[in-house]
Amino acid sequence: MKIKLDPRTKLYMIFIVSAVVMMSATTPFLWAVRILMTVIPIILLMCNKRYASAIRFLFLYAVALVLTFTCITEDSKGIFMAFLVGYCAIIVQFAPAMITAWYVVKTTKIDEFVSSMQKMHVPDGITISLAVVMRFFPTIKEEYAAISDAMKMRGIRFGGGNAVKMMEFRMIPLLFSCVNIGDELSAAAVTRGLGGKVKRSSIVDLKFKVQDYLLIIAFTAVLAVFIYNKYFMK
Amino acid sequence: MNDKKLKVKDFITVGIFTAILFVVEFACGMLGFFHPYIVASYVIMIPLVGCIPMMLFYTKVEKFGMITIMSVLMAIIMFVTGMGYLGAPLIIGAGVLADLIAMSGKYKSFKKTVLSNGVFSLWICANYFPVVITAKSYREGLLESGYSQEYCDNLFRAINFKTIGVLLILCFVFGCVGAFLGKAVVKKHFEKAGIV
Repeated sequence: MKIKLDPRTKLYMIFIVSAVVMMSATTPFLWAVRILMTVIPIILLMCNKRYASAIRFLFLYAVALVLTFTCITEDSKGIFMAFLVGYCAIIVQFAPAMITAWYVVKTTKIDEFVSSMQKMHVPDGITISLAVVMRFFPTIKEEYAAISDAMKMRGIRFGGGNAVKMMEFRMIPLLFSCVNIGDELSAAAVTRGLGGKVKRSSIVDLKFKVQDYLLIIAFTAVLAVFIYNKYFMK
Repeated sequence: MNDKKLKVKDFITVGIFTAILFVVEFACGMLGFFHPYIVASYVIMIPLVGCIPMMLFYTKVEKFGMITIMSVLMAIIMFVTGMGYLGAPLIIGAGVLADLIAMSGKYKSFKKTVLSNGVFSLWICANYFPVVITAKSYREGLLESGYSQEYCDNLFRAINFKTIGVLLILCFVFGCVGAFLGKAVVKKHFEKAGIV
């Protein structure tokens, strides 16, 4: 079963999840809602056959949750505990946003994204730049790996322990390749008619379907519950 | 004149440098889990590290709007990664102001670029806004989500209403210092290679 969502639904999901992440869950009920909210993108990942990342996220989130609830109290001391507390807190707090963002970035094709932004009348400048940012994180990672490999071949490990050198050796080549890739990218984009004066047509036809409406309702409910509990239940 | 309008190439440049800047910010942000004072020292670290891409970016900026778009993108990314919407006005404000300053020097004057980079660096302080403005509920949130009392105390000793002014000034100063540093690096590496 493959669930295909409208990019606008996905953006809405990101929006809601980021808003909810800012509010801390105080009661068991809110925790339940929060966990439910985290499970939805994981299920969606599974539906799109991304089992590996879905299971990894599930595992990470579950471990952090269990640790947070069982063995961490406010007076836990020591460096190791501080680390553990810090990481678990970060994961529990931000995992929903992380997983949703991951899901959206991995399953949205750039053309879908651009045409949905067009439909929402977002200015071209923002759309194109944002599409480039989304596309560019994996590229940076690849380039960085390539640079590390090159440095290993050359026998440079940590820049001789010099922090400034360490940064320089990595950053400068990275910038070089990024600038070049940018030039190629814009050449390719212009060839495909981006930035022309005519309104572009799109090969993908975006329509809301049942699953889109269901998810929008579900996430709106989550936000409503959180706001209600946070501000009106005192 | 069509030259004044932003073209696709400019948008792509903005996108790329925003991505790089965010990676820098994220890498520095990871260190913050060790100790809250490191969180406060972002104002020094990020301008100094981020200055290199920023100065390279400035050499590519020739029209009004590029820095503004960058700040809008930063605001969006900060929101999506869960830093909240409180800082967004500051980020975008700093971006527009930086853009205007750079424009008054026609994007060529180095002095104006230094100032502009200093102003743009203020966006880093937007990270602190949730800590300062919603101090009480933020603290409760941290304690509930499992941070130790000690971490919280230190965090709030380092960042509060009194210190935010200092942090803003530090941001600006190190943004300016970073501009010189970045300029030197760009000169050393990129001008020689003929990329700029």
